[in-house]
Amino acid sequence: MIIPVRCFTCGKVIGQLYDEFNLRVQGGEDAKKVLDELGLERYCCRRMFLTHVDLIDQIMPYS
Amino acid sequence: MILTVRELTDRRCSFVVEGTSPDVVNAIRRTLISEVPKMAIDEVEFHMGPIRDEQGNEYDSSSALFDEIIAHRMALVPIPTVLKDFTFRDQCECEGSGCPHCTIIYVMNKKGPCTVFSGDLQPLGDVTLRVKEELIPIVKLKEKQALLVYATAILGTGKDHAKWQPVTVCGYKYFPKLYLSSMNHKDPENRYGIWDAEDKKFIVENLDHVDLCHKCVQTLEANNAGPEPKFDVAGRDDKFIFSFETDGSVKAKDALEYALTLLAGKYDEFRDQISGLDKKKS
Repeated sequence: MIIPVRCFTCGKVIGQLYDEFNLRVQGGEDAKKVLDELGLERYCCRRMFLTHVDLIDQIMPYS
Repeated sequence: MILTVRELTDRRCSFVVEGTSPDVVNAIRRTLISEVPKMAIDEVEFHMGPIRDEQGNEYDSSSALFDEIIAHRMALVPIPTVLKDFTFRDQCECEGSGCPHCTIIYVMNKKGPCTVFSGDLQPLGDVTLRVKEELIPIVKLKEKQALLVYATAILGTGKDHAKWQPVTVCGYKYFPKLYLSSMNHKDPENRYGIWDAEDKKFIVENLDHVDLCHKCVQTLEANNAGPEPKFDVAGRDDKFIFSFETDGSVKAKDALEYALTLLAGKYDEFRDQISGLDKKKS
């Protein structure tokens, strides 16, 4: 739906990083490199981005 | 007790502590996780019905997400907390009615189309209480949608809800030791280190990075390359690597200091009660 505010497992605040992650990965950068540079070192936080499906734009018309 | 700080920033802290025992370190860990307080949004009041702007345009107060989900997302946003400035609401001099010592009120007023960010939370009064992490998306609004909310943040602890837990990842591990099974354990030079099969000697390097996974021992045994007598890896129960992170609402050093004061207070209380027992007996 929309990117979670925090990592489900460890509680690190991650929501603010998603836009940059998305932009850079869509721009052709390697996801591993971007995650490293964003400071997401644990695999719990990394999967939050790697497995996220951003559906909010499709859901928005049906309020 | 010997303390070596490995890393200390606003959000991260890691130190090696020597000359203590697991119960002491674990008490610190538990206090850090469940008893260090922080401010978090606890009550959110949504404006219902149509919202008008200055030009007379009418917006519907609805969005793609349920109000409960929006409130939950707002609660998880870290709010800067100076621990000495705030008290718990039920212990406050205002007797729970809400005053600047126990309550922060935020207003969020956004009209679509837009993305509502955590930075749109405007504190009533003190501007230093603005949310530092400004780019956390809360919800997205389309045309003709608007959001007007009043959110009340109060002090709480991680015992009640994870939103009130400033310390996120917190833990300790036993400091590793590597030793030969028949080695004189009083010889500190040879006691700790990593076995180098080529040069047939111990190398002491980044010992605190050893994970105690025993893979090195297994590999050496499988290849018959290890030293004779056999060596082993184990954790020391008198030296620990302690590390924790905070979510940015409370500084790591402040959180640790607060936890230690809290723990000391508990032991003081315990000591007082024991002295009371003595009097009753005599």
